Amino acid sequence: MEKILEKKRVDDWVAALTGYEVHAPALEEGIWGYQPINGPIRLDHTNTKQPPKEFAFPQREVFFSFEQIKGEAPRLKQVMPSGPRHAVFGVRPCDGRGVPRMDKVFNDHAQDAYYNARRKNVAYVGLACNKPPSANCFCLSVGGSPVSTDGLDVQLTDLGDRYFVKAITEAGKDLMTAAGKLFADPSAADQKQLKQVHAAAVAHPQRAVNNPDQAPAKLKASFKSPLWDELAQACIGCGICTFLCPTCHCFDINDEVQGKAPLNGQRVRTWDNCQFPDFTMHSSGHNPREGTGARLRQRVCHKFQYFYENFGMHQCIGCGRCITECPVGIDIIHVVNKVVENAG
Amino acid sequence: MPDNIYLPSLGRIAYIKDEVVGERAIKTFHVEPLDGGWFDHDCGQCAMLSVFGRGEAMISIASSPLVKGYKQFSIMRVGRVSSAFHDLSVGDVVGIRGPYGNSFPIDDWRGKNLVFIGGGCGLAPIWPLITTAVAQRGDFKDITVFYGGRTSRDIMYRAELEKLRGSVDVHLSIDKMEEGWDGYCGFVPASVMNRDPSPQNAIAITCGPPIMIKFVIQNLNKLGFKDEQIYTTIENKMKCGIGKCGRCNVGKDYVCVKGPVYSWAELKYLPEEY
Repeated sequence: MEKILEKKRVDDWVAALTGYEVHAPALEEGIWGYQPINGPIRLDHTNTKQPPKEFAFPQREVFFSFEQIKGEAPRLKQVMPSGPRHAVFGVRPCDGRGVPRMDKVFNDHAQDAYYNARRKNVAYVGLACNKPPSANCFCLSVGGSPVSTDGLDVQLTDLGDRYFVKAITEAGKDLMTAAGKLFADPSAADQKQLKQVHAAAVAHPQRAVNNPDQAPAKLKASFKSPLWDELAQACIGCGICTFLCPTCHCFDINDEVQGKAPLNGQRVRTWDNCQFPDFTMHSSGHNPREGTGARLRQRVCHKFQYFYENFGMHQCIGCGRCITECPVGIDIIHVVNKVVENAG
Repeated sequence: MPDNIYLPSLGRIAYIKDEVVGERAIKTFHVEPLDGGWFDHDCGQCAMLSVFGRGEAMISIASSPLVKGYKQFSIMRVGRVSSAFHDLSVGDVVGIRGPYGNSFPIDDWRGKNLVFIGGGCGLAPIWPLITTAVAQRGDFKDITVFYGGRTSRDIMYRAELEKLRGSVDVHLSIDKMEEGWDGYCGFVPASVMNRDPSPQNAIAITCGPPIMIKFVIQNLNKLGFKDEQIYTTIENKMKCGIGKCGRCNVGKDYVCVKGPVYSWAELKYLPEEY
């Protein structure tokens, strides 16, 4: 389904999505972030500081509550996510490509009921990048594109005073038919302009990982390279690189106790981080990833080697957040290029 | 797999035994299903145990798959959850989910000689294999167990090991001589060399502290054991047990899914991240 929507009618479209909780990028204290929308929608954002992964994989997920009266068996009460369907507007193509990667992680080997309950309840309305929203964008070199529709349900392309609106999935069609009257059929001129805008977007220069196809083998050969320690020397282990990554999925599971008599609390999943020493430390004190070099290697090899070996694609989607936000300037493009180049 | 992989079943502690007391205390627990049956397991698999309010920990299942009424776990007091287990009493209820990981290919080993080499609490992960092989004694040729502790008080499953004598060749060792000790005195790798088991039609299975495993494998190689005749288990910190939480990987593989059992022929080519 391909349609044209005048920009001034976007708010009417959002208003027509009565069965959905609509989220879109909003600027708050200088930071773009997804917010529930009650008024006019803005789609003039660069990219959001946090990716939209929270809609299927929130920072905090309660698995179940437990209550135990002394001398009795504990009572467990499963807490499965429920609520209205979500429509998330303004998702950049790189972040869209993060979605199928997360789908793989949470469904490979065993299905994650919490992730899947949220995932089936969310539709992503993407916005093609007519020009790279960040100086650190590198989607093209990791198999993506500023006009990729992978992982999206609808793709919007900015044609000046109107959007070219393309349904990618059935869920996307549902979003459009909810406000069918607002949309017009595209003219031949619209189609032509779309092609031109997309061609220009793809032609826009970006930073690049030089040899992404060679990365898995070269990284594998570089496991013991002294470069890892060298490149990670500045790392302070803050973990911002992974917390802001659209495809980082590591998590912790802990019991939070609310009361002692009777014992009651919740088992909770929270995001965790491979850049923290505790992440892999055994109870004995032994740590298989001691030092920032080993932990940088884990992050980079997960993105450019391990995931590729398991699923046939790079996990990194080239959004550049980990580069832009790193307080000490560790740059994954530089790291991959340097290690790959050094492997000969 | 259940619909919700994170929701544990409930189990009642039916039996607790002090295996080793002191600083590195080990207790053995039998956990019975609270309501009817639960999962079957294979030798070498693990289960995620929880003490509600304290959290979860991945523990090797130490009983044979042939034992149906309960599952056995031998737990050293080291961390938050293992310490919580040590504070439990018979009748207390815990959470359990699993089984997780791969298993020892015991069916491929029928008709062979088995050489078990354990140290410290490393006897627990191979105990289901030893007891299954003993229960199916006719299926295997010679069975030998080398097992050592720091001191005689660190020897776990002492009574059970003594009962194996007759059908199994048992060689116990301690690191330093003590009065009244009639077993071997020295480290486990040396105890193995002292008896030089034959690699002929044999499989060696070793589990224990990493430093012990390293020298055991070197010695087994010296005795002529090929890498594919040597099996061991590895452990890493785990939270989910199903390859999602992202911390137990060695290279591309999550130990909770692809491990914990590896032949040395496989393991020697993996990055040393365990």
